Amino acid sequence: MTQAMDPTPPPGSGAGVGAAAKAALVGLAAGVVLTAGAALMVRSWTASAAERLVEPEKEKPKVAIADQAEVAYCTPQFKQVLERVLHSCGLSGEGEGARRGCKPADVKTFASISDDDFNALFTPLKDRGGVIMFDEGRDELDDKAKKLLEERWYDRKGARYFFVVARASKTGSQSKNNALSHRRANSVMLFLTQLANDPEIEKKVGLLWLGNEFAQLSKEYCGWPNSRPDEKCDEEPINRSAFVSWVDCRL
Amino acid sequence: MFSRGSKAPAAIALIASFLGLIFASNSTLDYAAHLDRRLHDVHCSFIPGAPAVAEAEACRAAMYSPYSALLKDQYWGGVPISLFGLGAFCFFAAFSLYVLMSGERTSRRTLGFFALTGVTPLLVSLLMLTISLTQLGQVCKTCAGIYISSALLAFGSVSAWLAARSDGSRPTSSLALVAAWLAALAVTTLVPAIVYAASVPDQRPYITQCGEIKVAKIKGDSPVKIHGVRAIQPAILFEDPLCPTCKAFHDRLVTENIIEKLDIELYLFPLDSECNWMLDHPLHPGACIVAKAVLCGEGNSRQVLEWAYAEQEYLTRAGKAGDNVLRAAIKQRWGEGLLRCVDDRKTDVRLNNHLHFASENNIPVSTPQVYLGKRRLCDEDTDLGLRFTLGQLAPEVLK
Repeated sequence: MTQAMDPTPPPGSGAGVGAAAKAALVGLAAGVVLTAGAALMVRSWTASAAERLVEPEKEKPKVAIADQAEVAYCTPQFKQVLERVLHSCGLSGEGEGARRGCKPADVKTFASISDDDFNALFTPLKDRGGVIMFDEGRDELDDKAKKLLEERWYDRKGARYFFVVARASKTGSQSKNNALSHRRANSVMLFLTQLANDPEIEKKVGLLWLGNEFAQLSKEYCGWPNSRPDEKCDEEPINRSAFVSWVDCRL
Repeated sequence: MFSRGSKAPAAIALIASFLGLIFASNSTLDYAAHLDRRLHDVHCSFIPGAPAVAEAEACRAAMYSPYSALLKDQYWGGVPISLFGLGAFCFFAAFSLYVLMSGERTSRRTLGFFALTGVTPLLVSLLMLTISLTQLGQVCKTCAGIYISSALLAFGSVSAWLAARSDGSRPTSSLALVAAWLAALAVTTLVPAIVYAASVPDQRPYITQCGEIKVAKIKGDSPVKIHGVRAIQPAILFEDPLCPTCKAFHDRLVTENIIEKLDIELYLFPLDSECNWMLDHPLHPGACIVAKAVLCGEGNSRQVLEWAYAEQEYLTRAGKAGDNVLRAAIKQRWGEGLLRCVDDRKTDVRLNNHLHFASENNIPVSTPQVYLGKRRLCDEDTDLGLRFTLGQLAPEVLK
């Protein structure tokens, strides 16, 4: 390495002792200054942190909070109707006397909405839900119905409520169809209860039965996912059904 | 290597000391900045004085590790060991300057002291490097900067002594002077740490301010139970097996022997949009599948979780490569039976139930989330402030 050209006085000479003392003093002073500087620096860092600690953070990074799903179709109108269903049809009710499900007259009253508008609200659920088809005058679920129901039930994702909207076709009297759609809704509920083995299921599933007097489905709904896709479909069979879907809205 | 009278070794030691000062200052600054309980970027570069950055996982891991500070039970975050480095480098900078200025008038005893003490930062660095490699599995660049500075200092101080070893013309110095330098080294090394300890803000009012669990028990399902051998403290954890922060947290619990004193109810909260609707894109692709593997572990769930943490880098790559790669890894380690369980619809439902439990409790969508009993630990108290917080809220866990 390099040979330093050091014009230092010889060790032991008077000048040498003076230079050594000077070096020692400079070293000592540097040590004091550096240590004091480090201490002051540390003190200022902790003091600054202490100040920030008591001051509210101005631009606090926003952290998402875990919650149920809320997707685009959850319009205020849609949520209003669903909330009325929740309150009027017993999902949010607790204890004795809580009602289970809503009959057509209830739905008409609380929904305060026309048939077409009611159905239109469910349009965004086309792919999320499914139409469980029944035989004429019957309320039993066939194997394909059970399969579709099972698929839809297990595809819960972030939804909190599962809605069942049972209907009956125009054939027959209004009272008979009311009872029939009620039984269809109950068939779905019974199957789900056995499938899910969930003590909380009553608080998750909302039942509506509309008979043939409210919000009948048009032929267009034959194009929705249903349990009998290979069978002939028109306004009669599509209304012998229960539309089921999880609803991804915070209610 | 150096000729008699060369000033180069002292100059090297001086430069090394200043480099060490800069790296130790950066490290201490990062530590002190976090005393405000906020998130901060971290200095993590070989370049002295390079700005702090957000992507500094290795340096953050080192900072959060149990080896980064002393007295963690007494002070929130502890007293960072970089403070001792800061003090020591102050001393060595001043002493190197003295040796540089006094040149051939420096006594051999002085240089002997310089060489002997000048290697101590290197010895500590070697110890910390070993810990980094064996315990943390990575080396932070700022720490490496301190290690390199220490090595240079050792080289400079030992070279200065070697160059003067056979020089009989040098003056002598008394042993008392050596004792004084030693005392000065001790004082200088301790001063920054003492100042830090005396001025850290009191965190106690803040550690209980992060709320409580709203719904303590999951309905219609069960958590994964991890019951420590001497479990005395109930805890609820929300974790993602592919989350590096969860792994680091779990490692801290294991390393500090805290996990054995906890009765943990673990809920899986994978940050993967494949199953977690709370995200619009997967932060940890494949985490849903690995989370299901943990659920399927039944009696071995802790082992499956710890396997996922141990193999996290590989599983993360596998998750990005595709579900089949991940499934193959699970099958290879845990067998066909566990994989069948992972693919079972019932396991999907269980995982979904865990996610709904998280949503009922409105936990922040970040992991890990830790509840000690019913009390939620603030995020900053699960990393830097873990031991202090446990010492305050559940001291028996640290005994």
